[in-house]
Amino acid sequence: MTCITPIHLDPATDHFTLLATRVLMMAALPFGSQGGLLIEGAKQSDGKLVRRILAGETDLYRILVERYRREFGRYAAAMLHGDSDDAADALQEAFIRAYDGLASCKDPDRFKAWLFRIVSNQCHNVRKRRRDHLSLDRVEDPAHNPADQDLERKEIGAAVGDALDKLSAEQREAFVMKHVDGRSYAEMAELMGVGEDALKMRVHRAREELKKHLKGLL
Amino acid sequence: MSDSDRLSHDVQRYLDGEQVEHLDAGERAQADSLLAAIETYASRLEGPGSELDGAVMQAVRVKPVPTAHGSWWQWLLQPRVVSVRPALAAAAAVALLVVGAVGVSLRQRAGTVEPTAQAEIVLVRFELRAPEAEQVTLAGSFNDWSPEGIELVRSPDTGLWTGTLPLSPGEYEYLFVIDGISWIPDPSAHAQVDDGFGAANSVIVVGPRGVVRS
Repeated sequence: MTCITPIHLDPATDHFTLLATRVLMMAALPFGSQGGLLIEGAKQSDGKLVRRILAGETDLYRILVERYRREFGRYAAAMLHGDSDDAADALQEAFIRAYDGLASCKDPDRFKAWLFRIVSNQCHNVRKRRRDHLSLDRVEDPAHNPADQDLERKEIGAAVGDALDKLSAEQREAFVMKHVDGRSYAEMAELMGVGEDALKMRVHRAREELKKHLKGLL
Repeated sequence: MSDSDRLSHDVQRYLDGEQVEHLDAGERAQADSLLAAIETYASRLEGPGSELDGAVMQAVRVKPVPTAHGSWWQWLLQPRVVSVRPALAAAAAVALLVVGAVGVSLRQRAGTVEPTAQAEIVLVRFELRAPEAEQVTLAGSFNDWSPEGIELVRSPDTGLWTGTLPLSPGEYEYLFVIDGISWIPDPSAHAQVDDGFGAANSVIVVGPRGVVRS
């Protein structure tokens, strides 16, 4: 049996203790009763986590979601005209589909590359769904934020976003992975299944196209 | 593209993050201004926040533990090799006729499309030669790119993987998934389209009378 001793805090004098308690409670909320399990699992490799999830510890999937929501979030936003809502739609669908098909990931140690392809395809689906809408009522680029006071930066950001939309799909993806995600060519090759030389060529051409579109701003 | 839009080999190396010792001052300034513009754009991009984690887990929590079996309809759609004793052959033939009468043709021929009794549904056979693969699945716009895909069956002699899918007339994009990792287009498809993200998807067009372009 667990004995819980109530602690009485005086709000007038125990500001710090109350604040610390609230912070701890908020931090624990997303983990629920599985908090310890998730903290311990957070240090584990993708492969180990996938195997444990398939063995029934499905709450551990949250670790993979958080890990790759951070890693692929900006990629998705950049591939979807900078629209974070579309990026969220694409990622959410990708994570759910990846969960459904997790048993078909034959090499759990390469979960990241497997998931990347699903994310890429879901971005493609969302982009297709939005294509007509975008042509009539273009989703506002993040650089078009009307609250932004820095007009020059706003103009440059918008110009880069517009220039990226004009690139070929393969140039855009390679460019985003290199310059938005900051990945090495080796890492890009591993994720995309394309040779490093070919990726370099795509990025180099993308930069030249970008330079052409940004004439007068640089 | 004019020559003035070109970036020299050294500038490209510099932009790649390599050490370039003797870069012209003008070229360095040009490269730095391009990098600054890219950084301005990138710094304003926002990926989804942590609320996404909760939304995904809410959807996932009501699902069973993922297994390799897939859904029941996928199981039904998988072509199988069936051995029938002669005594049962007649009964099997009758059973096939009954199934055919309700609009599902079980006859499969490589690379063909079979219009069914119901003109809206066409059976399309997909095949891929991959003798080294341990598993081949099919994913495409017809199953919303589900990574668990539709499992194909391997012919032990030829290494040919095949599967038949009932599709409504329309245009579909698809890929084969090898061993659950490698997504590849169909080498025998007549059309490949840019998937919008740097790779190609195969295209198949199913017509109302079973006419197909792939």
